[in-house]
Amino acid sequence: MDGPVGAMRVLVTGGSGLVGRAIERVVKEEEEGGREGEEWIFLSSKDANLMSAEETRSVFQKYRPTHVIHLAAMVGGLFRNMRQNLDFWRNNIFINDNVLQTAHEFGVVKVVSCLSTCIFPDKTTYPIDETMIHNGPPHESNFGYAYAKRMIDVHNRACFQQYGRRYTAVIPTNVFGPHDNFNIEDGHVLPGLIHKTYLAKKEGKPLQVWGSGRPLRQFIYSLDLARLFVWVLREYDEVEPIILSVGEEDELSIKDAVDAVVEALGFKGDVIYDTSKADGQFKKTASNAKLRKYLPDFKFTPFKAAIKETCDWFVANNDIARK
Amino acid sequence: MDGPMRVLVTGGSGLVGRAIERVVKEGEGREGEEWIFLSSKETNLVSAEETRAAFQKHRPTHVIHLAAMVGGLYRNMRQNLDFWRDNVHINDNVLHMSQEFGVVKVVSCLSTCVFPDKTTYPIDETMMHNGAPHESNYGYAYAKRMIDVHNRACFQQYGLRYTAVIPTNIFGPHDNFNIEDGHVMPGLVHKTYLAKKEGKPLEVWGSGRALRQFIFSVDLARLFVWALREYDEVEPIIASVGEEEEQSIKDAVDAVVEGFGFKGEVIYDTSRSDGQIKKTASNAKLRKYLPDFKFTPFKEAVKETCDWLAANYEIARK
Repeated sequence: MDGPVGAMRVLVTGGSGLVGRAIERVVKEEEEGGREGEEWIFLSSKDANLMSAEETRSVFQKYRPTHVIHLAAMVGGLFRNMRQNLDFWRNNIFINDNVLQTAHEFGVVKVVSCLSTCIFPDKTTYPIDETMIHNGPPHESNFGYAYAKRMIDVHNRACFQQYGRRYTAVIPTNVFGPHDNFNIEDGHVLPGLIHKTYLAKKEGKPLQVWGSGRPLRQFIYSLDLARLFVWVLREYDEVEPIILSVGEEDELSIKDAVDAVVEALGFKGDVIYDTSKADGQFKKTASNAKLRKYLPDFKFTPFKAAIKETCDWFVANNDIARK
Repeated sequence: MDGPMRVLVTGGSGLVGRAIERVVKEGEGREGEEWIFLSSKETNLVSAEETRAAFQKHRPTHVIHLAAMVGGLYRNMRQNLDFWRDNVHINDNVLHMSQEFGVVKVVSCLSTCVFPDKTTYPIDETMMHNGAPHESNYGYAYAKRMIDVHNRACFQQYGLRYTAVIPTNIFGPHDNFNIEDGHVMPGLVHKTYLAKKEGKPLEVWGSGRALRQFIFSVDLARLFVWALREYDEVEPIIASVGEEEEQSIKDAVDAVVEGFGFKGEVIYDTSRSDGQIKKTASNAKLRKYLPDFKFTPFKEAVKETCDWLAANYEIARK
């Protein structure tokens, strides 16, 4: 590792995305964020196409990171996954293999990758925990994406076994916040809701929510996730991944989320639930017991405050927001 | 598809590839068909560019995909990352190029060793992804499982009916007889050959109690050709003798000893790992399609394999 002892040079792939931007903000603006002498580089797909081994290698050669936070992926909401499982499988396998293998070849000390609770077995007991990722097939709707993400954990374990590298991963539940992809067709549930409510208010129309509103989710604000990512990079030494989420007691229905968005944007019109559209997985309750064992006092931003902040950001940045 | 089949067999110079070559020449092949047997000497399938070049050169209509980085228990335990990565690359290259080049059908090769470690028996085709594989070879196991994931996703996105066959323990002529890195049967055959030649005891690794279903490579080859022509499902199919034909490693040792006429001592080194104790697979699906398929009797197949090694010792892979 070059440079003064203890100085990290952190490469963040997917740096311009939802979580990447949140990490950038935490590192720049917060006391617990970046430290003296550290260098943080936020990579976007404009800088390098990580599906290409050559471009990935060039980026590592240029920046010579000592650490990597690997967020880059081909992602999408329920409906896009259902149409393109092969693309989600292949493109993500390439991205992940390129980043993990190149990191190993360049002597990167630690890589923290990003999994998701949506990749866990479909048929399972609840709450799910870190030991259960591979215990059965994932949900049919996104099996391509799910298997590609699971294989990060396989790669990490094999890399530890063969080379002793302590590359690891975090498992967030549903992430939301500023800088998300607010595309209604292909985005995730919360940004989709925010965008739709914004338009419904603007156009004086009813708000149409896809699905019944009954599925349950644990939501984690991107800023909270970012703080936890930085902690994992510095302090979490296990190869086995760690779930990053609010507790089980903070699980909310989609309807709860709708109500919070409606309140934050001051929407006064009708709310209609289109039950002809798929709900996706009904529940994905995850245990954050492992996180609480390490950080018993970590405070998550209250849900309504986080939603308000996200809605305000979307209103103020509507022209530049990804949609 | 107009015109006859042009079948590309990857891993064509290996245990199963050579057996397919033999059965195609001896009657399974049809008029006007072209069968191309690819080996790693010509093409490194870990490379996307080389794989593309091979498809451009041969323009197959069908593919039997056997090529893989393989090894016995001990090598897998040491190199799970390499087994994971190289096999994922090989498989993605072959399956992706097949789709790009309009290949009508690909039959890939899985293995019962990729199934979940904690499971009920007998295992069947629906159970492959129901839990983590055995710790000893999870890199290889996941890479093979992902062939099935790729096939299902490819069918869903493009309607292509690429599929796979799941053999149990294969043995036969042209195997890799390397004692350190090979599989149990060829390892036994080689060790017995040497023990007889050198007048020493036969040392068997493990307790001899592990149970396996063995399939002769020539029988498997006939089933591969049938699957290519007739089997239309995307879900894979187990190719194996029935559960009633399961044998212990000791049974296999006895058959090899008889096959060579070995008269010396047989010692079981129980300090060595046994690997999985059993992997009993159901061949009910195969029997539904082919109720009358006849497998070569075990002792006869073992004798043929021993005779082959004795006659071809210099050129055998070891």
